[in-house]
Amino acid sequence: MIAHLDLGIADYAETLTLQRRLHARRCAGEIGDVLLSVEHPPVLTLGRSGSREHVLVPPATLREHGIEIHEIERGGDITYHGPGQLVMYPILDLRAYGKDVHRFVWTLEEGILRALAACGIEAARRAGYPGVWVGERKIASLGVYVKHWVSYHGIAVNVAVNPEHFALIRPCGLPVETVSVNDLRSGPIELSDVRDPLIEALEALWATEIASVDRQELI
Amino acid sequence: MAANQGSVTMPDLGDVSDALVVQWLCAEGERVNEGDDLLEVETEKTTFVIPAPQDGVLRRIAAPEGTRVRQGDLLAELE
Repeated sequence: MIAHLDLGIADYAETLTLQRRLHARRCAGEIGDVLLSVEHPPVLTLGRSGSREHVLVPPATLREHGIEIHEIERGGDITYHGPGQLVMYPILDLRAYGKDVHRFVWTLEEGILRALAACGIEAARRAGYPGVWVGERKIASLGVYVKHWVSYHGIAVNVAVNPEHFALIRPCGLPVETVSVNDLRSGPIELSDVRDPLIEALEALWATEIASVDRQELI
Repeated sequence: MAANQGSVTMPDLGDVSDALVVQWLCAEGERVNEGDDLLEVETEKTTFVIPAPQDGVLRRIAAPEGTRVRQGDLLAELE
């Protein structure tokens, strides 16, 4: 069983502290596997192989927008998080899921592909470029950290993101365009329209139940 | 072939082709304990922390930052 905690809208730095605490507790065997769902206020995060050169606007512009940059330990380059983006952080002991980094990344991508299909969107992988794509445009990003075979950080799916914010960076350091679910279909969409089928897909792929829990049960 | 005593080799991360050494968390000459974080490698947008397999002094880094490594490759020597 994986405990799913929906944090709603939550600050990036606070959520990172929570992830690190849950990771330590998972490593110590004090808790089971956890999946966090969250929507962050606008923020840029820079992975281990990232470069500030991929920020396309001057620091003053970021400050005007109230956007901070956090340098973090996950794999990958620069990523934007913000309103309208579904972020999920699986804190899983991968020894119970085949002890295979490739398999873990593949499964996260597969869950996103199935959730997008449930929303009527045909997306795909691109060889050599982890994440999920619609044609040449990136719809979901991925960046993971694994220590003691326990994961944290995770995935970000663009559901209804402000396109002006995407123009701030070169996502993953690549000269690519980014796209949201609501750019590809008509009618209103909520994060839960993607989150619920994604959780269902991950339950099938990981062959385990993902059950909602309260914050008090976990922290 | 069994690794030599004190060799730190690239562990099996599953079905990945290779990984990039992104950061050494210990310096040559430093004493480490079994399980201490030794280095970080990255593959498929995943940073993976490799621990020290035993107590010892990090005598030599064989795969410096920026090296691509495969399973079984020598990363460092401990003594």
